[in-house]
Amino acid sequence: MTLDSTDADAMAAGRPGRVVLTGVSKVYGKAYAVENLDLDVRAGEFISLLGPSGCGKTTTLRMIGGFEFPDAGTISISGRAVHALPPHRRPVNTVFQAYALFPHMSVARNVAYGLTYGSVPKADIGPRVRDALAMVRMSHLADRMPAQLSGGQQQRIALARALVNRPAVLLLDEPMSALDRKLREEMQIELKLLQQQLGTTFVFVTHDQEEAMTMSDRIAVMNHGRIEQVGTPSTVYDAPESAYVAGFIGQQNFFSGTIDRADGGAVGMTVEGSRVATGRPSGLAVGTEATFAVRPEHVTVSVTADAGVNVIPATLMGISQLGSALQLVLLTAGGLKITARTSRSSEVPTTIGSTVWCRWDAAAVHVFPGSATA
Amino acid sequence: MAVDAAVRTAPAARTGRRRLRWSIGMLALPISAWLVFFFIVPFGLILWYSFGDKPSLYVTHSNDVLSLDRYVEAVSPAFLQTFGRTLEISVVGTVLCLLIAFPMAYWMATKLSPRRQGLVLALVLIPYWTNFLVRTIGWQITLSPEGFLSQGLQALGLRDGPLEVLYTMPAVQLGVVYNYLPLMILPLYVALERMDHRLLEASRDLGANAIESFRRVTLPLALPGIAAGMLLVFVPLMGDYITPSVLGGAQGGMVGQMVAGQFSRAQNWALGSAMAIILMLAILATVVIFALVARLVGSVLGRVQRVDLSAALPQQGGAR
Repeated sequence: MTLDSTDADAMAAGRPGRVVLTGVSKVYGKAYAVENLDLDVRAGEFISLLGPSGCGKTTTLRMIGGFEFPDAGTISISGRAVHALPPHRRPVNTVFQAYALFPHMSVARNVAYGLTYGSVPKADIGPRVRDALAMVRMSHLADRMPAQLSGGQQQRIALARALVNRPAVLLLDEPMSALDRKLREEMQIELKLLQQQLGTTFVFVTHDQEEAMTMSDRIAVMNHGRIEQVGTPSTVYDAPESAYVAGFIGQQNFFSGTIDRADGGAVGMTVEGSRVATGRPSGLAVGTEATFAVRPEHVTVSVTADAGVNVIPATLMGISQLGSALQLVLLTAGGLKITARTSRSSEVPTTIGSTVWCRWDAAAVHVFPGSATA
Repeated sequence: MAVDAAVRTAPAARTGRRRLRWSIGMLALPISAWLVFFFIVPFGLILWYSFGDKPSLYVTHSNDVLSLDRYVEAVSPAFLQTFGRTLEISVVGTVLCLLIAFPMAYWMATKLSPRRQGLVLALVLIPYWTNFLVRTIGWQITLSPEGFLSQGLQALGLRDGPLEVLYTMPAVQLGVVYNYLPLMILPLYVALERMDHRLLEASRDLGANAIESFRRVTLPLALPGIAAGMLLVFVPLMGDYITPSVLGGAQGGMVGQMVAGQFSRAQNWALGSAMAIILMLAILATVVIFALVARLVGSVLGRVQRVDLSAALPQQGGAR
């Protein structure tokens, strides 16, 4: 039986498009860019490496692509160990951040570039290029030079140039960062549809959490060269495993303090004289440092005085319009900033400077050990 | 009234614009004057003298009788032989400079940190800023049969007799490569330094190895630098007369020396002018021929590398 499951594992690892990183580290000087990283990218999934600049996400991508070599650990693609191979011998292609189109070649020659090195018969190159350009709807620009294209067009060509080789894995290094917001949103949808249609594994590096949420099947949230959490967009949003993930994905109101009550699983602390408690089990004991997190959309604000658990009085400092929603910025007497988000239609206080009461459900409060805040 | 104001301001604006254009034109005055006085006038005079003759021993030139006789006189067997040698030295010198400068410039542009690049660039330029004649005389000392190089080689047993390179064509060849090398390194360095390094990563990513990436990405992007470097070396090298005068002796003479000789020693400005015009036309012809061949090769390559998008996939064709 053990033998069978090993065989099954081996078969799964060998599926085209699966990428497995095991204990991968990369050191620059004395600092770890990537530290003992494990990641299993499933065949055919769209995974995002999400994190701030310097978190090691680009280094991780470059190690998969072969532009950097890990100092420790192994990388396998489609079941084959590749961490010692140069880029041109790996079954991956990359869409670079600034596209890196060859400026001295026409669009068609750019797209045909990789096909001359594969096993593609010469007669098939033209049709393959044509189909790839049609896929990104750029057929009419085949004879242009890259310098004559807009940023969005260049990006589509870079995508076609990579995908025309039918790689097992496509690596994308912040490909949207140079596009304006509207174009970026269009491209996000298009890219996701393309990925679903092709079934190719996409590894997408971004610092934009909205972008990652929109497109990904799973998100790997990275910080300081490590992966903090891997999960579906809704998992990392609704069930963050660390205060860092909670703060990086969406907005959070953080309360740090010492646990002073534990009723079964639920723990509580006192913030500026008000009781704050969570309905989630945490396993933390009385006397330990903890951080509570509440999302702005879970905070309701009213002008009627209130008391009890998870109610804090505050002063309304400002209101901003977020299209369909309103964002309220509140300040407690002790100087703590609380952000609340409500729909526009609901009864919300609008007098700046007035005293209001913020409240939320205990079930909406996440609890993390330690007093770290993002 | 508003209409009046508009009418009044319109001509004022127009004269203002004219004044602006005129003052921008003023900025071009120094370069125009420079061109007229130091290029067009001397060149016109040389051209004019070349149609004249040298009427007597004590007169340098005369244009009383105009003819093409000086050109006929200029293309003597001795001139043609020297001209052939000049062309050989220049072509070989340009190619050698390119072969030496390319790896050097590539190393500077891609392997060195920006701070080191400045240092190495200075090391390339400092000898170039030293007086041309002094540098060349330096080689005369180095290559002389009694020089330290000759004596050192003999002491080491690498040579039986003294070094016999000075006052030969190889000495001139060596001298010109040394003298003109910086002019090749600089444009190549600029072209390679400007190249986006990620293009090479993209090439490797798409399946090309290092050599293929060099051939298909680095080399084509360096072409403007190669062309500029070859022009900067070849053109002044064809007219050089200091290097062969110092290092060439009787066996390593170049056309520049013959032209200079007619103007200074023989005092025959008419013949010297005809030689100078022939030299300039030859340089122009060489550059034009080279450019035409390069363009022809380029267009042939372009046609070969064109991706034909009109064909259908063979499998699809079979299915139909």
